[in-house]
Amino acid sequence: MGADHRAFLDATIPYLDVVWQVARQAAGEGQDPEDLVQETYLRAYAGFGSYRGGNPRAWLAAICLNVARSQARRRRRRPWEVPSPALPDVLPWSRADGGQGTADVADVVIAGLAAEEVARCLALLPEPQRECIMLVDVAGYTAREAAEALGCPRGTVLARVHRGRRRLAQLLAEAGVSHGQP
Amino acid sequence: MDSHDRLLAAFLAGDLDPAEARRCDEHLLECEPCWRAVREDRAGRQAAQVLRQPAPPGLADRVAFAVEVAATARTAAQRQPCPPARSRWRGRPGRRLHRRLAGAGMLAVGVAVTLTMTLLLGGHQTGSVPAAVAAVARYAQAIPPPGRDQQSYPAGRGAPVEVGRPVTVTAGGQPIVLRTWRLGRTEAVVAVSDHPFPMPADAQGVPGRGMAWTAQVGTLALYCVNGSTSELVAAPVPAAELAALAARLPLA
Repeated sequence: MGADHRAFLDATIPYLDVVWQVARQAAGEGQDPEDLVQETYLRAYAGFGSYRGGNPRAWLAAICLNVARSQARRRRRRPWEVPSPALPDVLPWSRADGGQGTADVADVVIAGLAAEEVARCLALLPEPQRECIMLVDVAGYTAREAAEALGCPRGTVLARVHRGRRRLAQLLAEAGVSHGQP
Repeated sequence: MDSHDRLLAAFLAGDLDPAEARRCDEHLLECEPCWRAVREDRAGRQAAQVLRQPAPPGLADRVAFAVEVAATARTAAQRQPCPPARSRWRGRPGRRLHRRLAGAGMLAVGVAVTLTMTLLLGGHQTGSVPAAVAAVARYAQAIPPPGRDQQSYPAGRGAPVEVGRPVTVTAGGQPIVLRTWRLGRTEAVVAVSDHPFPMPADAQGVPGRGMAWTAQVGTLALYCVNGSTSELVAAPVPAAELAALAARLPLA
């Protein structure tokens, strides 16, 4: 043990937050996203010796998606069921200083309900669109990084994101949830 | 997706050159279906962003610890001579482990840390210390000592204070929850598992405590009580003092 695992952690831990975003959306029913993140890193560490550089964010996302799919296949469940987050999990983003903020209770409740509805509607999209929206809009990947993680052309990602966003907005409108309507 | 939609997607992604983007802008002013598509795209993007969450505190520590345990296990597996029953793995254990996993199709089903640890270790022992115990000891060794200016809690009457957040790992096939407590200037790790912690080779049984044992791993003293819920306390104190220290910790 020594330099190799430290080099691995130095190279990959900065991306923990984006892997977490991917894992939360990719985790199947009954699958703990934290376990999925840990398994992703262990799998990545096992393959770090043969890793030839490239974009580590895309590499980690590809591993995370593969782990989620594999586990979903094993469980014979849909891999992209988006878990309904508990209310404390959908509080607005914590501030950089770690403070709790002073969000109005009503705002918090509304935000929680909205996130639950968004998760439900997102789960209704076709898997390719869900994957692209999850990577680009939720986890903050560029279209090129998402294309690398998914092994498809960048244009395909853009098209799927566009179609997925429109469908998501339509589903939310049908459900009576409004988001950023101009 | 038709060419119209592709053009819109490229426009929204900022892929169009200035002249094309200007033409698209002008078109949007006149074409209600396209303008609706743009509004829906923006609304969908904003809605999806509601799902963003920061990673939970402690997840980075948990991941780093799991990787460190895997690295320890890998090193131990490389150093240990292979037993006869596994002689076919001799030479290049990493590659053959991987091949075996792939052949069995087990890696593809999301190998849990349990399996990773078990296979990487080639058993459950790291030298004379079982993997689960070694993982707890490694975690306890990684905790930095309290600084000189850190608040000291009177050893005689102070209540234990939890440091950080619980970390969950699996080692030697055994799920373990690790908590760190501070008592005075001493920090102790309390590991809890549903499975008993195996005794290291040089551990001593504790008279009258059933499955309890004590051991020394490096500078750490270990004190374990196995039962329906097993607890292992690890702290950098003399072995003779650990039982008294453990008595002040919130054990089951």
